[in-house]
Amino acid sequence: MNSSCIKAIARKDAKMAMRNKLLLLALFSGILFSLVYYALPSSIDETYSLAVYDEGSSQIFPSISGISSEGMSFDTFSTEKDCENAIQNGNYIAGIILPEDFDSLLLSGHAPHITLIFNYDVSEGTINSIKYFIQTLIDVVAFGKQPLQLQTEILGQDMSGMRTPLRDQSLPLYILMALMMEMWTISTLVVEENALGTLKAVLVTPASPFDVITAKGIVGCIYSLGVVVVILILTQSLRGSLPALFIGILLGAVMAVSIGLFLGSLTKNITGSYIYVAVPMLVFLLPALLILIPDVSLSALKVIPTYYLVNSFDNILNNGAGLFDVWKDYLVIGICDALFFVAGVYALRRQYK
Amino acid sequence: MIIEANDLTYSYGKNLAVDHISFSVDQGEILGFLGPNGSGKTTTVKMLTGQITPQEGGAKVLGHDVSKDLKIIHEKIGVCFEEKNLYPRMSVKENLEFFADLFDSSMNVDDLMKKVDISKWSDKRTETLSKGMQQRVMFARSLINDPDVLFLDEPTSGLDPISADQIRKMILEEKRKGKTIFLTTHNMMEADVLSDQVAFINEGKIVALDTPENLKLKLGLRNLKIKIRTGKKFIEETLPLDGPDTPQKAKKLLENKNIATVHTQEATLEEVFIKLTGRKLGR
Repeated sequence: MNSSCIKAIARKDAKMAMRNKLLLLALFSGILFSLVYYALPSSIDETYSLAVYDEGSSQIFPSISGISSEGMSFDTFSTEKDCENAIQNGNYIAGIILPEDFDSLLLSGHAPHITLIFNYDVSEGTINSIKYFIQTLIDVVAFGKQPLQLQTEILGQDMSGMRTPLRDQSLPLYILMALMMEMWTISTLVVEENALGTLKAVLVTPASPFDVITAKGIVGCIYSLGVVVVILILTQSLRGSLPALFIGILLGAVMAVSIGLFLGSLTKNITGSYIYVAVPMLVFLLPALLILIPDVSLSALKVIPTYYLVNSFDNILNNGAGLFDVWKDYLVIGICDALFFVAGVYALRRQYK
Repeated sequence: MIIEANDLTYSYGKNLAVDHISFSVDQGEILGFLGPNGSGKTTTVKMLTGQITPQEGGAKVLGHDVSKDLKIIHEKIGVCFEEKNLYPRMSVKENLEFFADLFDSSMNVDDLMKKVDISKWSDKRTETLSKGMQQRVMFARSLINDPDVLFLDEPTSGLDPISADQIRKMILEEKRKGKTIFLTTHNMMEADVLSDQVAFINEGKIVALDTPENLKLKLGLRNLKIKIRTGKKFIEETLPLDGPDTPQKAKKLLENKNIATVHTQEATLEEVFIKLTGRKLGR
């Protein structure tokens, strides 16, 4: 390793990237894309639709639904099973199962046993707010604080996470988009060196293939970090555990650069490189895109390395996770980074020699 | 010896590009490596400069093995490639400064540009330069570390006669400074003018290696041409200098009072090459 060569190549690459209009466009398109953030809703719809199974045809409950014209809507089902199905189909956020003796218990001052049914993907916050709503409504109807036994039942796997506004949920996508653009930039720099024959000239100097790769890696990581930080500032999202966030960005940058080096070594043709980069880019973006779609399970995407980036960015930025919470994801990313870097160095050395 | 090659061999798949060649170049000498396109010239340069590793045989540059001591060799050689491989979006000066940084060279880039007569293009991006100017910049780049050995691969290929002549003058200037130069070319005139030794390479093999003079004398035909005026017309007689009855014939012709011109005609390297290989030297 020759540090003065690495310094010289890195300085030259930084200059070259800034003079390549196509690469500049790629870098800035990542930033511009992040401005979609402001076009997305900043909050979620807080009107809750509830399915009701009223076993004893209560006389009191219709008056409850009557006073809650804002914030909640109720639809009654004839069986408990129909009620559950409607919730599982995603048509209702929760279900209320009223006991047969609801009216008599309430009027006699005893606590009726009400079951609230939720689907597994409903957040803890939503569950608590619906419980609070139901209690409040009954208190209003009964002119005072009423004893209630509210039992919660979760349908399917309990995923007591937080519901996040679409705007915030899209943040990992912007970060990943910027990293993918960096991957493209790096692969283009490598292919361009090959296509122009300049690499040959560099490799008959004291610079080694390892120096060339390291220099490009450094430039790529610096650009990635810079662009992602700009995106986070523009979207006012520089929050959560900053050490965890920056380690994640750095790991993501190393991944983007390593994959870029590897893909860049597959061809000597600039046009051909676009195809080599475009297909993996779409695959790598999948986790960030699918996280935006409610009720889609991401577990099948665990084979895609970027899943772990998206998961950790989402947890840090939207769920308040720290380094301790995401270290397992980072470990997987670190291993992938090492594998991709070795593959990139090997592929490039093979091509250069 | 500054460059020593022993049994150098390299093949691309089944295509044997360089076939067990051996040669040596002494300090301050120019070896002209002459051969048609695809004869193995560039592959030989690639092996000597460590761009590819010899599959058989070996070579030493400045006493260092090209398969093992590349780092040391690369610090002391300059390579001028056949293809134009400058950074197009960087200026002439930036290109040279970048390579000066790689060599950690203390050479003054401005002085070098002045020497190679490219100062006026200093701030121009190399993509805007003509082929001839780019070739000059590449030549300057090969001198950036003040190398002991220069590998020049077709340095005048595709250039106009004036640019080619200027490059040749610069090559001779480097020779005068004591640099050892390995020059590949398909231009027999260039090889003749510049080289101390010429190696003819054909289909990967060296078919002749000697000084240009010796090659022409040993393998070429030398003629005596006598033009005689006959009224309004001329008759030209060509006598091979090495012919057994040439002295008598020449004496008889020279006694003629109507001699217009007398010339000796030397063989060219191209003729020698054709004689040795049965093929032309052109690209």
